[in-house]
Amino acid sequence: MRTVESEIGAILSGTISAITQRSIFNRLGPLAARPVSQLSNQDRMTVMAELESSVRLFARRNSAELIASCARALGVDGPAGAAGAPAASNSSAAGSAPGSAKKLTVEQEKDIATARLEAWSEAVRIGLSKFTSVKVATAVSELARNIVFYAGKGTVELRAVRDDKGPVLQIIASDQGPGIGPAKLEEIWSGTYKSQRGMGKGLVAVKKLVDEFQLDTAPGRGTTVTCMFRGER
Amino acid sequence: MKLWNPNSDFATGAAKLKDQQIPIIQIRNCLLVSIQTELHDRLALDLQESLMERVRVTDAKGVILDVSAVEVIDSYITRILNDIGKSVRFMGAVCYIVGIRPAVAMTLIEMGVELDSVNTALTLDLALEKLELLQS
Repeated sequence: MRTVESEIGAILSGTISAITQRSIFNRLGPLAARPVSQLSNQDRMTVMAELESSVRLFARRNSAELIASCARALGVDGPAGAAGAPAASNSSAAGSAPGSAKKLTVEQEKDIATARLEAWSEAVRIGLSKFTSVKVATAVSELARNIVFYAGKGTVELRAVRDDKGPVLQIIASDQGPGIGPAKLEEIWSGTYKSQRGMGKGLVAVKKLVDEFQLDTAPGRGTTVTCMFRGER
Repeated sequence: MKLWNPNSDFATGAAKLKDQQIPIIQIRNCLLVSIQTELHDRLALDLQESLMERVRVTDAKGVILDVSAVEVIDSYITRILNDIGKSVRFMGAVCYIVGIRPAVAMTLIEMGVELDSVNTALTLDLALEKLELLQS
């Protein structure tokens, strides 16, 4: 019995890289592992809506064709545009409304990739440029990695807001980990800090990438990083 | 009848292999690694180790890492690439990174992290060309 993942994976391979495919299927959650024939109509619509936005985002060519192939494979009548649209907008309503927020739990290494992809698609969705979106994904990757490496568990929140100049994406990475002491913080900002696992430059890198940066940390109190990406300045 | 059964021994075997290690391909006296998966601690260390061993056994003059499928390179991945570059250099070979995407390059510059322990080339072809020039 073919699962959603094997069926859709066969269609996407060659156009969308294995890493990206992995993340797309992660986003589908348990639906990805279900056999296509056992999906309810609602499930099909949910899968199709997710695939449609991901394919549009990541396929560098033939995205319309790919979406049509996915729709056929799932037994949906045509791309979600027609029948799927209402279902799609319902299921992702929380994520689509302007001024919306999305909170992701980050605990394992695979969550880093999920957070990164989620941030990327959110950035593209609210209209940040292609380069800025890669910067958003990189910054979220750094922050999520810090959480996994040093705190063990935490959350990354993505908030889409607008100001008078255009779209703004706010990222809040928060954990209840050991926090960072003043001496260590000094080392980090001066660039002399060396970590065991990484470069020790994650926070510095994020600070340089973002338009606004705020760090709230103290030993025993955990760490919260708040930063903002703006559209064209 | 289905030609491809995702639950067959072959398919699960292939998935297992993909989980465990990144394949290293030899072209003449170069080793080629295409990174198609999420690099994490253990995988990166395994790759570094098996690359070293293959350089020794095959007497390779060059190692080429293809990152064209990697959409985001953060400071941690940069460190892994630099470490691999350094260890390849210690073995007397030259390490090339190929296929860095424009947006990734821009981001690395802004972050101020350096990929200074490896050489870079735009494509696999150009890296092979440069390595050949090096050897003559």
